[in-house]
Amino acid sequence: MMQTGFEFKPLVKQEITHSQLVRYAGASGDFNPIHTVVPFAEKAGLGGVIAHGMMIMGFIGQAIGEWVSVKDLAKFSVRFSKMTRHGEEIVVTGKVVGETENRWICEAKAQNKEGEVKVKASFEVKK
Amino acid sequence: MAAALEEKIGLKLTPATFKVESGKIKEFALAIGDLKEEYLSGEKVPPTFPTVIDFWSEGDSTSALLGVNMEKVLHGGQEYEYLAEIKAGDEITITGEVENVYSKASMNFFVIKKEYVNQNGETVLIAKSTIIERH
Repeated sequence: MMQTGFEFKPLVKQEITHSQLVRYAGASGDFNPIHTVVPFAEKAGLGGVIAHGMMIMGFIGQAIGEWVSVKDLAKFSVRFSKMTRHGEEIVVTGKVVGETENRWICEAKAQNKEGEVKVKASFEVKK
Repeated sequence: MAAALEEKIGLKLTPATFKVESGKIKEFALAIGDLKEEYLSGEKVPPTFPTVIDFWSEGDSTSALLGVNMEKVLHGGQEYEYLAEIKAGDEITITGEVENVYSKASMNFFVIKKEYVNQNGETVLIAKSTIIERH
């Protein structure tokens, strides 16, 4: 039952692999080598490849699609706070934080098993 | 703010068009690990599918448009406002411009606003991306 304060069932993702980053690069078309090529990412001062922020937003999008019908999704915005690397396991949690006459106002976050928040999201769902 | 940065406000992307194909929707859903039947069949697109349209429409790259070094660029934030459905078979044209530029904590922030219009002239999506240039 949707109401303010309602907490959605967390989505637990499988551990991110380097192969998944390569696959996501091809699927999305974002071939920035900081996500796939280790020597390039090291030279860029990142200490190795980092996941595409958009892939983590994609994980949150996956969770939203499990919580509500995607056709009712009106707005979805994120802030990328921490870098994510392969070997990390992401859990997406979310809740309803308010409502207007025709929208549910919700928040979600993607964090690793250690509780480090990678991406914070807000989204609005049509009633 | 440096004048060179401020001059980037209002810079326009060259419009680019992408045809949405069901195989591409499936490939993208599989890469995320989001295995909903409606995505695998191409009946619907995942909420972040517009990023595929951005990159595969082969319009101006953000780093080229902004004149920044790819090694130094990070994605700070992303916002989507969904106005109508995007589905397989649609031809989506993106137009966009640099809406704002500012400096904070010795980094440069660029806000790019894009509109996605389908083959019927209907605006289906508005997106805003915040791009960060590290020094």
